[in-house]
Amino acid sequence: MAMSVRRTQVVLQRAACIKLKIGEMDVRLPVPLLLPVRTKKRIFIPPVAKMNLLEDLKDSSREADFTQRHQDFERPINIGCSVVIFDPYIPPEGDARLSTLSKEGLKQRTEQIRQSASSQLAIRKIKEYDSQFTTKDFAKKAQEIFIEAHNFLTNFNRHMLHSLVTERCYPEMTRGNRYKTICWSFIESLEAPKVVHARCPEMITKGNLYGQVTVRMHSRQTLAIYDRFGRLMLGSKEQPKDVLEYLVLERHLNNPYGGWRLHGKIVPSWAPAKDPIIKTVRIPGPQLKPGEEFDALNYQVPKPEAVQWYK
Amino acid sequence: MAAAMTGGGTAFIRNLSRLFQSRLPVLVGGPQQLLCLHTTSSLEVHKWERKNRVVYPPQLPDEPRRPAEICHCRRTIKYSKDKMWYLAKMIRGMNIDEAIAQLEFNDKKGAKIMREVLLEAQEMAVRNHNVEYKSNLYVAESFSGKGKYLKRTRFHGRGLSSIMEKVFCHYFVKLVEGKPPETEKRTSLDQAKEYVQSLKNRTIIHSL
Repeated sequence: MAMSVRRTQVVLQRAACIKLKIGEMDVRLPVPLLLPVRTKKRIFIPPVAKMNLLEDLKDSSREADFTQRHQDFERPINIGCSVVIFDPYIPPEGDARLSTLSKEGLKQRTEQIRQSASSQLAIRKIKEYDSQFTTKDFAKKAQEIFIEAHNFLTNFNRHMLHSLVTERCYPEMTRGNRYKTICWSFIESLEAPKVVHARCPEMITKGNLYGQVTVRMHSRQTLAIYDRFGRLMLGSKEQPKDVLEYLVLERHLNNPYGGWRLHGKIVPSWAPAKDPIIKTVRIPGPQLKPGEEFDALNYQVPKPEAVQWYK
Repeated sequence: MAAAMTGGGTAFIRNLSRLFQSRLPVLVGGPQQLLCLHTTSSLEVHKWERKNRVVYPPQLPDEPRRPAEICHCRRTIKYSKDKMWYLAKMIRGMNIDEAIAQLEFNDKKGAKIMREVLLEAQEMAVRNHNVEYKSNLYVAESFSGKGKYLKRTRFHGRGLSSIMEKVFCHYFVKLVEGKPPETEKRTSLDQAKEYVQSLKNRTIIHSL
């Protein structure tokens, strides 16, 4: 190390500039300093020198027009759908349960979407973005989207399903399905689908509109869910059920390439989702004193009380 | 460590030190690939765990009901695979409640671990695999396998040392829904009767 220092000192002493004679004057021009450079690769690079080395490398790479790899510390997230069903539609009680001949039934039949002013406003806003929007066509389209989405759920195709169903609805539909087989079929529609509700909420920034339209659908469907071993868990393939559903479809209106997708379903308070039949029932046994044995053969299972319950 | 070993040449020591570095349970991808060990990385799923991911197509109504099968295992148990075998053999073919009860009152170290594994498997069966009755299960398969051993030095007298193996094992169990299959019980009397019958069945040919 001492030798290298000595070398540089000798070079510096020899003169940093040459003396020229231009005319009569003595001009001193600076000479490029040629220092002896260490060419042997250093095994140990002290941290300060290493930092300098890296910086030099960066500069040289910029000169050579190589850009450093762009690191994404913050990736932009595209929010394609809203999180909740904004201002959900409250279905009238007894919908599809009353006969159409009674007074109540007639009232429901004649109930139209014109009654709700905010829904009308929302539809008007949607028509700004999509001029061909009509409630009649939309209701039909909604049913088609619903049927197609459920068909893709049965023969599972997640890419097509993502295009027909929003990101909020997708996990609701597909959670727990991986080790099960679902057989679903749409038999017929009992009543024509009808648009009952519409809202246009804004998310985060003003002008970022999402259109949410609720469609009422009364149809006949079959659903059968098989477990991992192919045994029927819930439902039945042959027995169809009449289903009244309130589907919510959403579309990001600002996005010109967006489409109407299924966003969720509204479960009315007067018809909550019923739990599947519990097959095994644990009956509490008799209270035994210590020393007593449980006589399984002669034990009479207590019958439950007869309680009136209604659908 | 190298200084303490005097029972070998320098090549032996170098080999050992390399082995110590590579056979650690906390595995790094690099040394494994260089040494071409038969291993699976942490993200790959083992074969036994993958057996629970098989989905059968829906059964037709006239087919007999397929019994549910649940595979469970525990990896890297600090116990010997040969000692574990005795317990695994004991519970083969037992009803799960009986197996759990027997293991509860067994004095071996592996029995406690095996009991935990069986209880986990039972819980899994009821929750995830649509098994209705938790007692309607029996142990169809139960066996132990060798885990990855660690090597340590064992110091003997007279300055000698040798490699001590720290032994690990895996334990695998398969529960099937239904009653345990009937095993044929052969008593010694039956065996004796069969032997006597075989003697009586002999025919002597080409005799007078």
